Amino acid sequence: MKYETNDVEGVTVVALEGDVDLESSPVARRLLLDQIARNQRLVVDLSRVGYMDSSGVASLVEALQSARKRGCGFVIAATGDAVLRVIRLARLDRVFTLSATVQDGIAALRKG
Amino acid sequence: MARRRHAEGKDSRLALLAEMAGDLATTLDLQATLANAVERITRHLQAEGGALFLFDAACQEVRCVSCYGKAAITGLVLRPDQGIVGRCIGNALGEIVMDVAKDPGFHPGVDAMTGLTTRSILCAPLRVKDNCIGAIELVNKISTDGIFSQDDLSSLEVLSTSAALAIINARMAQALVEQERTRHELELAAEIQRRLLPARREDGYPVHGVNRPARTVSGDFFDFLELPNGRILFCLGDVSGKGINAALLMAKTASVFRCLGREGTRPGRLLARVNAEIRETATLGMFVTMVGGIYDPATGGLVIANAGHEPALVVAPDGTVVERIAADAPPIGLASELFEIDDYPERSIALDGNAFFAFSDGVAEGFARGGGAEEAIIKALRAVCGRPAPERIEILADRATGTELLPRDDLTLVVVDDAPRLRGGVREPPSRRLLRQTYRGTAAALREIRDEIAACCRGSGLDAAVTSDIVLAVNEACQNVIRHGYGGEDKGDIVLEVVRTEQALTILVRDHAPTVDPASIRPRDLDDVRPGGLGTHFMREIMDEVVFLVPPGGGNLLKLVKRFDGGQ
Repeated sequence: MKYETNDVEGVTVVALEGDVDLESSPVARRLLLDQIARNQRLVVDLSRVGYMDSSGVASLVEALQSARKRGCGFVIAATGDAVLRVIRLARLDRVFTLSATVQDGIAALRKG
Repeated sequence: MARRRHAEGKDSRLALLAEMAGDLATTLDLQATLANAVERITRHLQAEGGALFLFDAACQEVRCVSCYGKAAITGLVLRPDQGIVGRCIGNALGEIVMDVAKDPGFHPGVDAMTGLTTRSILCAPLRVKDNCIGAIELVNKISTDGIFSQDDLSSLEVLSTSAALAIINARMAQALVEQERTRHELELAAEIQRRLLPARREDGYPVHGVNRPARTVSGDFFDFLELPNGRILFCLGDVSGKGINAALLMAKTASVFRCLGREGTRPGRLLARVNAEIRETATLGMFVTMVGGIYDPATGGLVIANAGHEPALVVAPDGTVVERIAADAPPIGLASELFEIDDYPERSIALDGNAFFAFSDGVAEGFARGGGAEEAIIKALRAVCGRPAPERIEILADRATGTELLPRDDLTLVVVDDAPRLRGGVREPPSRRLLRQTYRGTAAALREIRDEIAACCRGSGLDAAVTSDIVLAVNEACQNVIRHGYGGEDKGDIVLEVVRTEQALTILVRDHAPTVDPASIRPRDLDDVRPGGLGTHFMREIMDEVVFLVPPGGGNLLKLVKRFDGGQ
């Protein structure tokens, strides 16, 4: 898994790329929690994630919980079919704030 | 004044003894502690030199293992009848030799070697109760009269006893360590052996086996595998003797059988080829008795060859024995030109709804405790008729074990049951194994596992969405093994097997982690939005069947089934 972090209009966009599985999810988890610890509003761009398993979903849940505790906005953006399927299987599609594109996600956070 | 000095000497002796006893009792480095003890004893008793000798009863020699002073004699070996030290060990008695020139027992050879001159000797045995393991010898008292006193001897005897205790303790500790190492290695060997046995199949499958080793490792084995033409090759073998040598020959024979058998060679020819392989390298005097056969699940036809093994039995559904297949060829591995055999004799039998049973001689011996072995087995076979085949052989193995915790000899049974074929409906549709692969139980293996499973799914004509679902389910199953079974450490393997039938894709996930009670595995409560615990839920959501099984030989077996009709 690769990742990239950018600041766009005061919102941090973390883009993950590749497979988010048991091997790589600890990296993703740390990355997201570190950003939230800096009180950043976060958009997680999953457009280039082809595969995610339960450990990846668990990292997203933990990040969401941490963000809520701190009152930071947390949006998951641009999920492909495979990732969306996993989130739906976990019945978390209504727990997460999902947006179709990264731009939508940034706009949503700026509004909120 | 003299009395006071004497008292002081006693005090310092006690102090030295207490200190040395403490060092010796707690030492981790016996060699260094003994060297230190010899030095302190020599100096304390004011001798020119000192040496510690150990007696090796097996080699009948007395060896110097540590010394102090001018004469460097560590490693010196004497016969038990040589020198004062030999006499001291032989009698298990300490002694003072005031002038060695007047003692015929003195061995001048050591002086000749070292160039030093021995005048007086003080020697005390290393003895605990009746066990004398050596002696400590001091030479040449440094004092005006040059003579060791009775007090010196008493001191040396006490000091020697504590050294002897330390040596005996250290030897026992070493023996324990060795024992533990051997036990551990045997367990690893047993684990490998268990993996050589085929996985247990579902009840309706025609071939089943059971293997119960009498010791950690087994000299018995069984195996079965599906040939490309749908027939099933099977065998049961029994290596002469027990223990690790039998286990090694078992492993070799089982591997050769499986390897050569894959090509579908007829059983008689196959046994001859196994014989040729084993004969080349078998240890003299070791041999293998073996029954090998091929069963055709489409017709119920059975072709069987028996190389020196106990008679196999064909049993009707009501439990009566209808045929006895005795050996008509010698065992495998007997290296003699007399047994040059191109083909072992074969028998062809139409099972016609009957079941074929083969046993290792441990089973017969187990039953023989109550009288005639075969009679008892036949009676037992009748008693278990009507039950599923795998249950029948388990019960027979239980009976052969009797009331003892472990069987006296390795117990192995194989059954080929033709009844499921005649019942028709129960018959398993033709199946094809798409994958059987062992992976390391680490997160790094998951990607390769996903790729393999995806290939199996696509090859079975499943669409992309179903494929990625199944990949996820198998990934989660493996993840559970890696995280929970092996605790996230590289501690074991995962064996994946994918089998396709007309109706379904079955994935078996086998691990060797501590067995988990299947009842304790539950999907997550979905209202509970905490991280973790999702995997089992994913599996149940995606697959039509998720069954946690406890396989023979320990570990865990998870069966995942996806039906092609969408589980309708």
